[in-house]
Amino acid sequence: MPRPRRKPPEKPADTKQSIKNIISLLKDYKLKVGLTIICGIISTVFATISPFLIGLATTAIFDGINSGNMNIEYLIQLLITVVILYVISAVFSYLQSYFFIEISTDISYNLRRDIIEKITQLSMSDLDKNERGDILSRITNDVDSIQSGLNTSFNQLLTGVITIIGVTIMMLSINLWMTLATIILIPVAILLITYVTKHSQDYYLKQLSYRGNLNGLIEESFTGHEVIRAYNQEDECMIEFDDDNANWYEQEWKSKFYSSLSAPLMNFISNFAYVLIAVLGAVLVLQRAIAVGDILAFFQYSKNFTQPIQQMTRIMNLVQTAMAASERIFEFLEISPEENPSKNQIEDIKDNICFKNVYFGYDENEPIIKNLSFEAKRGEKIAIVGETGAGKTTIVKLLMRFYDVNSGEITIDGKNIQDYDKHSLRSLVGMVLQDTWLFNDTILNNIRYGNLDASDEEVIEASKQANADNFIRQIPEGYESLLNEDTDNISHGQKQLLTIARTILSNKPILILDEATSSVDTRTEKIIQEAMDKLMENRTSFIIAHRLSTVRNADKIIVIEDGEIIEQGNHEELLELKGYYYNTLNAQKRGDGI
Amino acid sequence: MKNLLRPLKKSISPIILIFICLLVDVYCNISLPAYTADIVDIGIQNTDFNYILNVGAMMLLMVAISVISTIALSYLSSKVSAAYGRDLRKISFEKILKFSNFELNHISRSSLITRNTNDVYQIQIILGMLFTTVLFAPILGIGSIMKALELKTNLLWIIVVTFISVTVVLAIIFVRVVPYFKITQEIIDKTNQIAREILMGMPVIKAFIRQDYENKRFEVNNIEFREVNQTVFKTIFLLMPLMTMILNIMIVLILYFGAYDAIIGNVLTGDIIAFIQYSTQIVSSFLMFGGFAIMLPRILVSGRRVAEVLNTEISIEDGEIDKIDDNPILEFKDVCYSYPESERETLKNISFKLEMGKTTAIIGGTGSGKSTILNLIPRLQDVTSGEITINGINIKEYKLKTIRERISYTPQKATLFQGNIRSNMIVGKKGASDEEIKRALELAEVDFIESLDDEVTQGATNFSGGQKQRLSIARAIIKPSDFYLFDDCFSALDMNTEAKVKGNLKDLKDNSSMLIISQRISTIMDADEIIVMDNGEIIDKGSHDYLYQNCEIYREIVFSQIEESEDLIYEKTLSKELLSKYENDGNSEMNLNNANRPAGGK
Repeated sequence: MPRPRRKPPEKPADTKQSIKNIISLLKDYKLKVGLTIICGIISTVFATISPFLIGLATTAIFDGINSGNMNIEYLIQLLITVVILYVISAVFSYLQSYFFIEISTDISYNLRRDIIEKITQLSMSDLDKNERGDILSRITNDVDSIQSGLNTSFNQLLTGVITIIGVTIMMLSINLWMTLATIILIPVAILLITYVTKHSQDYYLKQLSYRGNLNGLIEESFTGHEVIRAYNQEDECMIEFDDDNANWYEQEWKSKFYSSLSAPLMNFISNFAYVLIAVLGAVLVLQRAIAVGDILAFFQYSKNFTQPIQQMTRIMNLVQTAMAASERIFEFLEISPEENPSKNQIEDIKDNICFKNVYFGYDENEPIIKNLSFEAKRGEKIAIVGETGAGKTTIVKLLMRFYDVNSGEITIDGKNIQDYDKHSLRSLVGMVLQDTWLFNDTILNNIRYGNLDASDEEVIEASKQANADNFIRQIPEGYESLLNEDTDNISHGQKQLLTIARTILSNKPILILDEATSSVDTRTEKIIQEAMDKLMENRTSFIIAHRLSTVRNADKIIVIEDGEIIEQGNHEELLELKGYYYNTLNAQKRGDGI
Repeated sequence: MKNLLRPLKKSISPIILIFICLLVDVYCNISLPAYTADIVDIGIQNTDFNYILNVGAMMLLMVAISVISTIALSYLSSKVSAAYGRDLRKISFEKILKFSNFELNHISRSSLITRNTNDVYQIQIILGMLFTTVLFAPILGIGSIMKALELKTNLLWIIVVTFISVTVVLAIIFVRVVPYFKITQEIIDKTNQIAREILMGMPVIKAFIRQDYENKRFEVNNIEFREVNQTVFKTIFLLMPLMTMILNIMIVLILYFGAYDAIIGNVLTGDIIAFIQYSTQIVSSFLMFGGFAIMLPRILVSGRRVAEVLNTEISIEDGEIDKIDDNPILEFKDVCYSYPESERETLKNISFKLEMGKTTAIIGGTGSGKSTILNLIPRLQDVTSGEITINGINIKEYKLKTIRERISYTPQKATLFQGNIRSNMIVGKKGASDEEIKRALELAEVDFIESLDDEVTQGATNFSGGQKQRLSIARAIIKPSDFYLFDDCFSALDMNTEAKVKGNLKDLKDNSSMLIISQRISTIMDADEIIVMDNGEIIDKGSHDYLYQNCEIYREIVFSQIEESEDLIYEKTLSKELLSKYENDGNSEMNLNNANRPAGGK
């Protein structure tokens, strides 16, 4: 099976912009960033002075051994100073992290909040442009990358830079040649590491995309396990797996090899520097240019010097991921919220709802709704029927102004709905959809969602009307039962009853029932049907169904095909037409046994 | 665990090489401080330039050997661990492919996916680390201890004290942080869940204008998330400064007590310098190993999960007979089935027969055991008791391949594979020609594709539910079979399309037998035999006419689905007389009406 390759994770497209983004995140924390930097400087400076003092102490011991007269007091003085310096350095090093943690956790908190707020503000069409999984991964993965990227890289970079400067100064103050011996190999190290890193990244990305393929194949094979077995596809599947697995292996070991090379290379460089320091140091000691203890000091400095450079590759990866993440987040946050220019409130529907020559398509060149016109008088039941994909749901989405028409108009009481405040328009409408949306809370609160001010009694009354009260009372904790995500504690039909109760409670003048019973077994369907009939009393309702028996009582039935109205009228009128409606009704009734 | 190690067998010689490299590397590394001590204590003390240069040359040699051995080590360990991952993934994949539904239900599918991908990858990563750092650390530690002992100082107790303090600090931080790991995971899950709820519920949220409510609901969790994050990080970040401080204080102690030793004349300056370096290496190799120990529980979890897959015994055994005579008859005899670890019987004493030219249908509510019956026929799972026979021989006697070749099965969930239309159709019949494919697609009323090369994405997300069902029906009918099994696979089709597809399927009926599961009366009412199921039992079976008159449950289903639309039509098109006649003896009318039915659709 030819399978398209998955894209490897992007690097930031615009590095400058994403750096700006990250800096803009830090802007609100000027004081704490300042404190972090000050603590970082104090901690690093103190840590950098200490090896020098330790060197002095070593020299004192060496001299003491040689002269036979150890200056213990001087030694103790030095060592106590060193301990004090180390303790102070440790305290400030922790404070540095402490302040920055407060910043980074707050930033991630803000980002999460902003993304959620953005989600609730976006128009449906903008939401549809982004895949749900994509948005979710922004809230979790991307925010997390930014937080951990900031947490490690900011402080390590800060400390690294100060350390390198400080160490260089300290080394130079001891001896120029020794300093040169220590750092002479650093450029070589940097070159080697960049080379290795570049290669390892290439292989890493390749490896990642092959792994993606492999994982995709595994996922698919296990999901379609029955099909594979029932169709004797095991061998074909295995061949494909072996292929992908071998491809992945080739890239994986190379990626691992190259990325693990940087450690031995750095180790080599620092060992090489170690030897240079030992030999050159000894020679210089003999020439009285430095003291013995300075050799020990240089061992330390050499380590302090190479460490930040070693960390650099890791940091760079983290920073890159964080920048790419910030790009995705900012891109999402920059989408402008749903427009709602009109402040005209609409309280109720007095007369009618009219669709006049409405055209609509998610892509303007491919209209889904074509020249649609009909009228719904106040209190009427309008049924919309037609095949899957005919555009039934789109009609109600237009009425809710989740989308706006391309041409034509929808009016309520003669006024274009675009001239009303969207919120007030939507507050007229109650919806019961095929996919029941309930959230993780008690049944009581889920029903109360329809009217947040409702008392417990009102909630119970509403669920009685929705035929939900009975089953709720049979669940061990009744109205206080928690609905969880997989919600296996109640059936799909029961969930539907809850959403009906919720809608009853909200008491809206207009109702939309979109395939509310289509994935429910027949006994439950009857109960739901009853509840919906009660719900529709005295309300202007739009019923979408593909089972025609549910729509016979409608005042007007609109038959849609390919976005156009092909028949409309009441049940009797449509039967007389002997067209689509008549035929379909017959087919449904008869069935078409084989 | 033995099964987990099996893929390593063929890598034994590289693994031995890895060990040698490790030893060489450690040897080179720990020899350096000793040489330094010699330089200071002998070279400088005696002002011996040549000695210093000679020792320096030896040191350079060590450094060179060390770098060669570490590069070799990296190379070998990358290859060995990647090959291990590859092979472990393969043997577990191969094993899982052989699972029956029994095993699939025991360990869930999503868990199997994670085990075969993430868990295997985790183990592989750990193996790589094992070769490079985990084994290196103790070897380096032990080597350094030996070297430190050689120096004959009285300072070993300082290492012990440092050891103890490091352990105590680690333990305290560990104990404080570990409970938070679980809390963090819970909060992440909760955040995910609320975010997903909001995303999915936007139409409802907009309709109820509950944006602020949702923002507040998320806010509560978000604040908690921040608090937990802060606590965790503030604790973890204690680690580095504390460790550095302890290490540095250790150096100070060594110098201080080393000085006293030196006064007595026990040690020389170079020894102290070397001792400092060895003790640093000992403690940091301990830290390295400690870091690994913290990860150990997670590795064990992954290992156990994969091992469980490999150790699973497959409940289905292949049979011997590889031929089935033409016009086979399939029979269920007293079949019972219960799911693993479930006391309830999903199927109780099921008996019926499938014959050539006959259509059998099963109807019943959700959870009545309909799908299970279908799964038993191609042996996706085996009966718990009773038997299923083909031509009188238990199906367990046949080769799996042979049975499955004669069966065409359409599962309830229309599963397609990533690729294109053609690649999916070929699953139904190996090497099917484009003509054959097009013919099958036509029969299944697939009128929404442009060519056989149309892409099918993973999970076939680019097709609607009804389209997927039609494609999976096409896949099932591309090859002539003896038994066609359709598991509620018309449910997402609208009535017209369903009627058309079923009309087309009639041609297949003559030389085969069909078994159709449905919830809709209209789908099955013309079957030769209808089996009514409730709670895993056959309530009754027979023709529509028979059941309509004799089976309470069947009539109930009929009424809930058909009664209304019957009335609708008859009120208008038939006289009251006929209607009343129908009510007494509905069947003749039904057939009459069936004959008059306008050919499917508009």
